[in-house]
Amino acid sequence: MKIQKPKITFARWGNYTIAFKTLFKQLGLEVISPEKTNSQTIAEGAKLAPEMYCLPLKVNIGNYLETIRRGANTIFMVTALGGSCRLRYYGAVQDKVLKEAGYKVDFVIFDQDPRNIYSKIKEISAASPWQIFKAARFFFKKLRFIEKLEKMVQYSRPREIEKGMTDKLLIETFMELDRIEKEKDYPKFKREALRKFSEIKIEKNKDIPKVGLIGEIYTVSDPIINFEAERKLGEEGIEVHREMDLTYHLKKKIFPWKDWIIQKKINPYLKSTVGGHGRDAIYEMLDYVKKGFDGVIHLLPAFCMPEITVRPILEKIHQESGIPFLSLSLDEQVAEAGINTRLEAFVDVVTNHHKSKKL
Amino acid sequence: MRTYLGIDVGSISTKLVLINEKNQILYHLYIRTEGNPILAVQRGLKNLKEYIKDNSLEIEIAGVGTTGSARYLAGVITGADLIKNEITAHAMGTSFLTPDVRTIIEIGGQDSKIIILENGVAVDFAMNLICAAGTGSFLDAQAFRLKIPIEKFGDLALKSKKPTSIGSRCTVFCESDMIHKQQIGHKIEDIVAGLCQGLARNFLANVAKGKNIQPPIIFLGGVSENMGMRKAFEDALQQKITVPPYNTVMGAFGVALLIKQNPSQKTKFLGFGISNKDIKCTSFQCKGCPNHCEVIEARIDGKIVARWGDRCGKWSNLSVTDL
Repeated sequence: MKIQKPKITFARWGNYTIAFKTLFKQLGLEVISPEKTNSQTIAEGAKLAPEMYCLPLKVNIGNYLETIRRGANTIFMVTALGGSCRLRYYGAVQDKVLKEAGYKVDFVIFDQDPRNIYSKIKEISAASPWQIFKAARFFFKKLRFIEKLEKMVQYSRPREIEKGMTDKLLIETFMELDRIEKEKDYPKFKREALRKFSEIKIEKNKDIPKVGLIGEIYTVSDPIINFEAERKLGEEGIEVHREMDLTYHLKKKIFPWKDWIIQKKINPYLKSTVGGHGRDAIYEMLDYVKKGFDGVIHLLPAFCMPEITVRPILEKIHQESGIPFLSLSLDEQVAEAGINTRLEAFVDVVTNHHKSKKL
Repeated sequence: MRTYLGIDVGSISTKLVLINEKNQILYHLYIRTEGNPILAVQRGLKNLKEYIKDNSLEIEIAGVGTTGSARYLAGVITGADLIKNEITAHAMGTSFLTPDVRTIIEIGGQDSKIIILENGVAVDFAMNLICAAGTGSFLDAQAFRLKIPIEKFGDLALKSKKPTSIGSRCTVFCESDMIHKQQIGHKIEDIVAGLCQGLARNFLANVAKGKNIQPPIIFLGGVSENMGMRKAFEDALQQKITVPPYNTVMGAFGVALLIKQNPSQKTKFLGFGISNKDIKCTSFQCKGCPNHCEVIEARIDGKIVARWGDRCGKWSNLSVTDL
């Protein structure tokens, strides 16, 4: 059954949601952008989803249910081709779950391949190639800016003099970025935003510990899913780094030799692929050890096969190098209080490690 | 005399430790939380006050620290100067009494943890995250089911010559396996001993997996009182396990030491009077943004003293005098 006028929605993914919303809007489509994930979203998704599936799938379904209530009828969902994890069945599973629950929605499932994405977008939007090109260009501008802001905040948060300034500005900027619908308004906004960020008063020469976040891409880059680990660590005076973001993922898709380089670097630990971003986690951890970081946190959804497979290897690197290491499996059953206890204890361990290095 | 008070509020028990400037323990208390951390803290403070009165001690509380899973709540209602996680608190307390400690196994009511130390500081730790198999509450429940007082549980386990093997992946499976073994006629002490072995095995396979366990190994927490569990760990690790004095109040001791190390100019301690006041906590969901944070509100004698739980600070930043 084809629904006449598509009202597009998609799974929420942290701050990237802003960029995705822009992409579809620029194509002239009606978009029902998912609201911020909250405990109710997760509970609703978990209720419908298969129990043994991982958290991202459950949260996605929760997001859809919320947008369907607001009128969405078409869901745009990725399926990863090749040696990936269960993500490649996500579209199909979610489609089935929603249909069985009686929801009438169209699933537009696309592959992680530029040609496929282009043809799917063309199919639902009937936009001209030029319009698609323009929409994509604006999408990437917003996407890159979101990642830039996130990185800037990782630096300024632990160094800010007035507590909470960075996050206040970050929230405002993202809200404004979300409102900008014309590409011609964008450069001025960007200049303004960057100027405001440069005005945050920080202690430049503060000597602070550094922690790297590794793990499954969605868990690592969606602040709601990881209980805002990045912000909490930053507020405790820790500079957080993370390699894994959407640009990194897309670059790997476009330049496949990156995988080959990673494999070469991790050969002493793992000689094959394990799916998902398993190899990347090892590679990133080794990199953080080399760069003299004071800790590594591994974030994964509970039952995430690739990440569970590499966890013993990460433990081994931790034992060999002495770098503090914390692995957190997250799912809808996990309580925030428990995560906070572990993060707080880890901050103490990292701070001790940082101090002992200087002795 | 300047003293420092450490309060550890866990799921099952609440612990208080009072130390003096020389780090000596003047008073320690272990009571049951009984599902009401506020009441437990109030009872603890009342007991401490009576102790001070009975011994006519001249005591000034120069600092209060809280730890344990209810550390924020306990911190708010007592006016704590320091709120610290239980891992750091246990590491602190233990390494003070046993400076060369390398491994701490701590099993309480709901949480079990392993802490690896080097030169007196925690360098690695792990806590049970998804599964609570093998913690104190489960042992409690089984003791109750078998009509054995929990205090005798361990001694009974030591009587066993041939422990029954009990599946220990999950407490639910564990219990059904126990019942099954009872029904086919295994001796009760063998089952109890088997249970202890199973729980130790579960801890080592889940919580402590991949951790570098080195002697001296210190065993803490309510479960360390259980002789059967001590033996089970010794057998499983093939190493000596030490249960030091103050094994059940080590977290409270640790946080008292921490506050003593970094005392504030003037303590925020609200005084012993708090134990007679009406303290209530309520929560509401903030609808200010899509986060829908659960905001918790604490009132003492009807007056709001603190709000917390929001992400943006809209509620927690409201200073108490504004209200």
